[in-house]
Amino acid sequence: MAKDKHIADLPSIGESFFWRKEFSRRQFLIGSGAVFSWAMLQKMSFAGGKAEETTATAAKKGVNKVPSVCEMCVWRCGIIATVEDGMVKKLEGNPENINSRGKLCPRGNAGIKLLYDPDRLKFPMIRVGERGSGKFRRVSWKEALDFTAEQMQRIKEQYGPEAMIMSSTHNLTQPYFENLLKAYGTPNYGTQRSLCFNAMTIAFLFTYGVAQPVVDYENCKYIIYAGRNLAEAISNSETQRMMDFAARGGKIVMLDPRFTITASKAAEWLPIRPGTDLAFFLAMGHVIIKEKLYNQEFIQQHTVGFEEFAKAVEPYSPEWAAQRCDIPAETIRRIAREFAAAAPAAVVHPNWRTSNFVNSFQTERTVAILNALVGNWAAPGGLQPVPEEGSALGSLPQPPYPTVTAPRLDGVPWKHPLVPLKYGVIQDIRDALLTGEPYQGKGWLVYRQNPLMSIPERRKTLTALKNLDFLAVIDVIPNDTAYYADVILPESTYLERWDPLSVAGNRVFLRRPAVEPLYDTKSGLMILKELGERLGLGDYFPYQDERDVIKAQLAPVGISFEELLEKGWAELQEEHHDPYYLQTASNKIEISSSTLANSGENPVPAWQEPPAPPVGKFYLLSGKVAQHTQFSTQNNLWLSLLTPDNPVWINAEAAKQLGIKDGQPVIVESPVGKVINKAYVTEGIRPDCVFMAAGFGHLSKALKTTYGKGASNSSLHETHTDPVTGCQALSETFVTVRPYLGGESA
Amino acid sequence: MSKRYGFVMLVYRCIDCKACQVGCWAENEVPLGKSRNWITKDGPKGKFPDLITDFLPGNCMHCGNAPCVNVCPTGASYQTEEGIVLVNKKKCIGCKYCMVACPYNARYYHPEEKTADKCTMCVHRLKEGLQPACVSTCVGGARVFGDLNDPDSQVSRLLRKHRAVVQLPQANTQPNVYYVYDSPVDKGGIAP
Repeated sequence: MAKDKHIADLPSIGESFFWRKEFSRRQFLIGSGAVFSWAMLQKMSFAGGKAEETTATAAKKGVNKVPSVCEMCVWRCGIIATVEDGMVKKLEGNPENINSRGKLCPRGNAGIKLLYDPDRLKFPMIRVGERGSGKFRRVSWKEALDFTAEQMQRIKEQYGPEAMIMSSTHNLTQPYFENLLKAYGTPNYGTQRSLCFNAMTIAFLFTYGVAQPVVDYENCKYIIYAGRNLAEAISNSETQRMMDFAARGGKIVMLDPRFTITASKAAEWLPIRPGTDLAFFLAMGHVIIKEKLYNQEFIQQHTVGFEEFAKAVEPYSPEWAAQRCDIPAETIRRIAREFAAAAPAAVVHPNWRTSNFVNSFQTERTVAILNALVGNWAAPGGLQPVPEEGSALGSLPQPPYPTVTAPRLDGVPWKHPLVPLKYGVIQDIRDALLTGEPYQGKGWLVYRQNPLMSIPERRKTLTALKNLDFLAVIDVIPNDTAYYADVILPESTYLERWDPLSVAGNRVFLRRPAVEPLYDTKSGLMILKELGERLGLGDYFPYQDERDVIKAQLAPVGISFEELLEKGWAELQEEHHDPYYLQTASNKIEISSSTLANSGENPVPAWQEPPAPPVGKFYLLSGKVAQHTQFSTQNNLWLSLLTPDNPVWINAEAAKQLGIKDGQPVIVESPVGKVINKAYVTEGIRPDCVFMAAGFGHLSKALKTTYGKGASNSSLHETHTDPVTGCQALSETFVTVRPYLGGESA
Repeated sequence: MSKRYGFVMLVYRCIDCKACQVGCWAENEVPLGKSRNWITKDGPKGKFPDLITDFLPGNCMHCGNAPCVNVCPTGASYQTEEGIVLVNKKKCIGCKYCMVACPYNARYYHPEEKTADKCTMCVHRLKEGLQPACVSTCVGGARVFGDLNDPDSQVSRLLRKHRAVVQLPQANTQPNVYYVYDSPVDKGGIAP
C-alpha cells in the first residue's frame, strides 16, 4: 500500500498541466455561499441520501429476490438481486439467462458497490467555476434540464443543429438517445466503436453480411484467437464456454505478444510481433490453398471470389510470414493443417477490440476468409450467424425525423465512405473540434461515455472540450468528462431504474429497480424524454414513464408486463433464417468483396506492413483486466481493492538493460505525452513491448477511490486512423521507458 | 455415513478473475480489506516464451486435524460432523491463537465483532440446498464443492479420475480441500 501511495503522490501529466494539486478552502467560497466543492456536495448529499434510503426501506421489510439485468459491462447478464430491508445485499447470475448461465464475473458481483459508491452522482449540478475546476452547485432537475435545453436550442438557432455533437456508449436506452439526436437534427453521433471493434465488425459485414458471428463452442475442436483475451476481457458466458471448451481438451492457439491468462490456458501460445497477425493469417491461407485443404464444395456453393484470393496469397508463404511475425514457418504450416483438419469444427475467432493497427481491417478480413475456406459457417463447431438484436420486439409510434443535410464532423461518409453511419469515427470528431473543419462544433452531449479517457491524445481532447460553448454529461458516476461539463444530469444506476428490454438468445429480460433510487436521479429514458420535451421534440418520446416503452416492446411477444415482472423473462418466437442467404451484395460469402471493389479498394486482402518501433522504443500495448470495465469501474471499492492500478508490464531482460526493477516508478513517454507509473517486470511479454491495462489515470478528482492511481494510455496514444474503417490504431504508438529518479515533472 | 464436505480445486480452470472473492465479500458481509478466500498466482515460471502460470483458488482447508480447533482455549473454534470448521462467536474471546496456528493464513480478525472470522463453506446456503457463494459464481468452473463421502458426488468422481494433492501436506492437517493440477491435454478433459 505504501508503495502505491508513493506512486499516487507523483504528478501525472493531466494534473500538473491542468489543475492545481489541491483546492484551498477559500476557493470554494468565491462568489456566493451557494458554491460548493465536490467534497462538500458529497457530504451534504450523503446525509440526504440516507434519509431517502430510510423512506424507501420502510415500505419493504424482509427479503426480496429481484430478477434484473446487470450493467457492469455491456454483456447484459441476467441477475437476481437479493434485497434485504431495502438494501441490495447480493447479486447473483440468473441461471435462466444465457449471458450469465447462473454466474457473475467479479464486476457483476461488485455491482452493489456502484449503487452504494459514496462518490456517485446524486443530484443534478451546474458548473460554477472554470471548466475543469470541479466547482459545481446543486440544482433542481427543472433548472438542469431547462439550462441544457436552452443551451442546445441556442446552439441550434445560432449555428444549426449540426454544431451539436451527441455521443453515447452501447446501452439499452441507446435507441431513445438516437431518437433525441435525430429529432434534434444533428448528424454528429459519436459511439465508441472506432476505438473498439470497427475493424472486426466491418470486415465480417463485408464478408458475411453479419457483423458479429459467434462460435459454437460446444461442438468446436480448435480455436485460434488473435489477441482475444477472454479470461481477462470477460464476456461472461463466452468466457465460461471457452473454459469448458479448453477443459474438455479443445485446442486453443493464442496469438498475443503478451502471456495473458488466456495464453496461459492455451495449448499453444505464440508471442507474435504486434501488427503482424495479418502475415500469419495470409500464410495460413497460402498453405490451405496450396495444399488444397479447403472445402471445395462449400466454396463453390456459398462463396464468391475464391480464385482472386488464391492468387492474392500466392506470394505469402509461411517462410515469407515467418520473417515478419516471428513465428517459425513450420509452426504456421502445421497450424494451417491442424485447423483445416479439424474443420468445420474449427474457428479463427473474429476477436473483439480489433482497433490495434491500421492493417487490422485486412487482418480481420483474412480471419473472415479463413473461416469461409474451411466451410465452418453455420456448421456444428463453427461460426454461427446471429440475427439482429431486438428485431422481434415492438416499438412506440413516432414522427419521421427531419432531413439532415450537413456533413458529419467525423468524415462519415465523405472521408470514410465505408464506415456505417451508426458506427462513426469518434476520434475524428475530436479533431474536427480543434480544426474547425468542415465547420465548428459548439456543443456536446455525452451519454455515459468518457471521451477524455477513451480517445487517444488526451491533451488534445481536453483542449477540444475546453473550446466548446457547451458540454453536458449524463452519467452515474462523476467521470472525467463529467468533471469538465457545464451541466451534469445524474442517471440512476442499473439497480434503481427501468430500462428497455434486453434480448438474450430467444428470451427477453427486464432491467428493473431492485431498490428505489437512493438519490435525486432519473432513468435515461426519463432524462431523454424530459430533455426532448423541452426541445419541442416530445412527439419522439410518446411515453409517460418507462413502463410504456416496455409494454410497447412486449406487444408482439404475447406476454403482459405483469407476467413478465412475475417471471423475470419471456420467450420470444423463434425466427428461422436461412443461414446461407446472406446480406451481402451477392447474397454469398464474399471472399472478394464487392463493396471494397466498388469503392476502389483492394477486394481481397493484401499485406500491409505495420510500423515498428525504432531501436530504444517499445510497442505500447493496452488491454483489459478481469476486474474492470473500460473506464467506468476503477472507483468501485471492491474492484479497486482487487486491482487498484495498472503497472507497466516490461520484459525482464529489457528491464535489466534499462536498470528498471519490479515495482519501481518509471517514466513512459510517447511523442504526445508522458506518464509516471510503476513497473511490473515479467517474463510474460515480448522484449519489444510494454503493456498498460486501460482505465486508470483518471483526471476526475471526484472519483476519490481511484484518483491518482495508475496512468492513462490515452495520455500516450497517438491518433492513427484507418481510412477504410475509421478504426483507431491503438498499438501504433511507440514509447520509451526509463526509471523515474525524481526531480522530473511528468 | 454422515456427510463430509470438501472442495476440489481444478487449477487449470481458474482464470484468476476473483469473482469468488467478491461473491464471498457480498454473501458474508466480509469487512472491507479482509477476505475469506483467495487466488494465489504461481508464475509465470520459466523463461520467455516457455512459461507456465498456475492459479490456485483457496480458502479455509477445513482440516480433518485442524490446528485452529486444537489451540482454541475456549472451544469457540470447532468442527461440525460434516467437517466444517466454524467459529462460535459467542465463545470467541478474540485471542487470535487460531490465526497464528493456521498454516494457511485462512483466518482474519473481525474488527467490529472482535472475533476470529473465516470461511464457513457458506453453511447457511448449504442448508438451503445451495452451493457456497464462491462455487456458484466461479466463472472458470475451477471450484467444485460437495460431499466427499458420497461416491456419486462431483468431488468424489473428480478425485477418482485425477491425482489430487493438498496444500502443505507436511503440516499433517488433513485438509478437505484438494487440488487437481492435471491439464486437459494430458488427461483428455478437466470437466467437473
